[in-house]
Amino acid sequence: MSRTPLVQRIAEWLIRAACRRLPADVRAERCREWAAELPAILDDQSVRLPFLRALRALSFCAGISRTARQLSRSARAGSRRARNSRWRTGAMRLRPPDVAARAVIGFISWLVIVLGVIALARTLHHPPGWLLRLGLALAAGFDAFCLVDIARAAQVRYLPKWAWAIICLIQTPGGGILYLSIGHIGRGRPVPPGEAKP
Amino acid sequence: MKLTAPLQRVLRVMIADPSALHYGYDLMKAAKLPSGTLYPMLARLQQDGLVDSEWEAQREDAGGRPPRKFYRLTAEGLRVARLELAQASSPARARRVRHGATRPAPGSTQ
Repeated sequence: MSRTPLVQRIAEWLIRAACRRLPADVRAERCREWAAELPAILDDQSVRLPFLRALRALSFCAGISRTARQLSRSARAGSRRARNSRWRTGAMRLRPPDVAARAVIGFISWLVIVLGVIALARTLHHPPGWLLRLGLALAAGFDAFCLVDIARAAQVRYLPKWAWAIICLIQTPGGGILYLSIGHIGRGRPVPPGEAKP
Repeated sequence: MKLTAPLQRVLRVMIADPSALHYGYDLMKAAKLPSGTLYPMLARLQQDGLVDSEWEAQREDAGGRPPRKFYRLTAEGLRVARLELAQASSPARARRVRHGATRPAPGSTQ
């Protein structure tokens, strides 16, 4: 076999994406373990059709994604006590200004975008079609980015995931900006348990 | 440990040949379980010390394939699995054991 088959590369990518949810200390090993099963699935001669083998590999990845979610949930439950104590020891004081600053930055960028759109609409009474289409594409792309981010996040802040998804959709740049500035939990950033929502 | 039907299937497969190297995909096939059920279960069993895992040695004829991880019952796992499966196959006896009754049921002894 000179090169890795496409299905295997897709499946490896899916597994890597799933493993990102896992705690850092087990991530690499789990990723290696699951990726090593792929050649066995794709070369499984008891499944006659290559197409069915590929399907099996992809459904394996779906199961791995569920596994990673479960493992990260139980790991979080295990470390909840440790995190609680960390948040009681002064780190709490850093939180409110941090959130306020993010909200202000979010509001300012939303204002800049809205004012920019209004100014553009005033200067061009009849905006050319390509500009409208470009704007729509940008808006749709941004919405899609936010929704994917929400879907892939292990947890989001303050509101449940579905609520953030609706907010992103109904107020197109604003909702997304609000989510990214407040609701999004950055990697490696500890979050007090009361704020994180599934 | 609650002996669910999928867990029972996995234990039966592993008990059938306790010394064999059980790879994840082979276990999935033998126990007819999806990976999303099998791997969380293995992780739990491993946490309880009933199963351990190891990386296989890199084989010469692997053709560039990465080494795989295999799972095996520990001695404790083998004992617990045998006990649980035996109880599962005779529910009446299991009930008696749980309730601490030591007297055999009428007609069960000669």
